[in-house]
Parts: sequence; C-alpha cells; structure tokens
Amino acid sequence: MKALVLLGCPETPSQTPLAVYVFNKLTKLGYDVTIAANPAAAKLVKISDPEGYYNLNLVDLERTLGDISEGDFDLLVGFVHKDAAASFFVTFEQILQCKSLALVFSRDADEVAEFVNMIEESGSNAVITAVRAFHNPSPIKVKFDKAIKEFE
Amino acid sequence: MSFCLDTYLQQSDNYEIHASKAGFKDCAMIIRFKADDLVYIKPGDEVLGVRVIGIPPIPIGFDHEKGTVFLPYTKPCHGTSVVELPIDEEEVEKIRKLDTGNKK
Repeated sequence: MKALVLLGCPETPSQTPLAVYVFNKLTKLGYDVTIAANPAAAKLVKISDPEGYYNLNLVDLERTLGDISEGDFDLLVGFVHKDAAASFFVTFEQILQCKSLALVFSRDADEVAEFVNMIEESGSNAVITAVRAFHNPSPIKVKFDKAIKEFE
Repeated sequence: MSFCLDTYLQQSDNYEIHASKAGFKDCAMIIRFKADDLVYIKPGDEVLGVRVIGIPPIPIGFDHEKGTVFLPYTKPCHGTSVVELPIDEEEVEKIRKLDTGNKK
C-alpha cells in the first residue's frame, strides 16, 4: 500500500511536526509513505530528522504533480491551510482517484469553513476533518488520529 | 520540443498577470469576465505543458481577437494568479478537446 502526503506552504508552524507524525503513523499502518512538498516545506521536514531516524521519503510537489497517474497511490493525505492547498489537494485527488483525507486547519474559523466548502463543492469523495488551529499541532493531531481510523 | 508554461513564464515577458496571490474562485471569476470564449476543464488536465490546478470546473478563456489564452496558475505559497499569454490555434484546439461542458 502506498500513501502520498501533501504539504502546503510552510508558513504554518504546526505543519512540520505533523508531517513527521503522519509519516510515522502511516508507516506503522503498513503504508509506503511519500511526502510531496515545495522546497522550503521539504527542508523544514528534512532538518527535523537529522539522523534519518524516520527515513523520510521527500519529493518535490510540482514535479510529482506532473508525474503521477491514476492508481499510483492508495491513500492521499493533504494538509489544507490555504486556498492554494485546497486546489492542490482536489487536483491530486482527481488525478489519483484514491481514498483521501483532507486535514483542514487555519487560525481563522471562516477560512476553515471556506476550505471545507471548496473541497466539498469540487465533488470530492475525501474524508474531511477540520479544526481551528495554527501554532498548536495537538488539535490537528487529535483530528487526524480519529479520522485515520476510517482507513485502518 | 513541446511548449512548457513554467519555462515560458521564466524566459519571456510577453504575458500579462490579471490577478496575483488571489483565491481560486476569484481567479475563475476574472477569467469568465475577461474572456470572450471559454472551455471548462478538469483539475489535472494538461494545458500548455502543465497540469492545471484548481477546483472544477476550471475555466480556460480565450481572446480570439488578440490570440491569447487566460488560465489560472497556482503555487503553494503564492495562491492563484490569472495569466494571459499568446497561444496558437493548434494549442487552442488541444484545449477545446478537454472541454467537459460542465459550467457548474
């Protein structure tokens, strides 16, 4: 089983620790996990694991978008905390046509609702879990732990 | 060699940005407003050598008098922009073949 984790813009502090957390969790569930991120977001994750303990598999987001086809992954997990991240998530999901989970979060409750609407209006079949959060990764971690049970 | 939008935007100044660092929906509205002809495509469809990112249906607009195309262009940290650039008839026909006809 293969899982692709999509990271958004690295501006939000909670994304980096959660990327490592989600990678570890999915690996323990038996997935071969790939993290797709832009160069800055990827660097933050890579430097978080200096000894290579997690053996993080990081790839370039835009190159991956150009390369993937339907069926390449069994699970898509996306960090959605910006308008662009919602667009990227919906696009990857439409190409891959696989099970998918959107982790929607923002410091602004209106933005959380807006990003959820964007995904729902796209006709997506994704499981969407949403919470108001920015600096503190714990609320997102709790939501992820609950939502991922649907895929176990 | 086929056309690649990313390379074109880096190496040419013959294009216009109508909106930048915007939301996808605003950019879609600008394309619908500015273009005199539209097709609607799916996210991930390839236009001018790149997969278009967005929420379906994604409008791609044409100004046939100027010979240009309007399309949304999304980057993770910079949001979505509307780019207008010259296009030849062969590429227009390729894009027409992607039309889903779904405007909702």
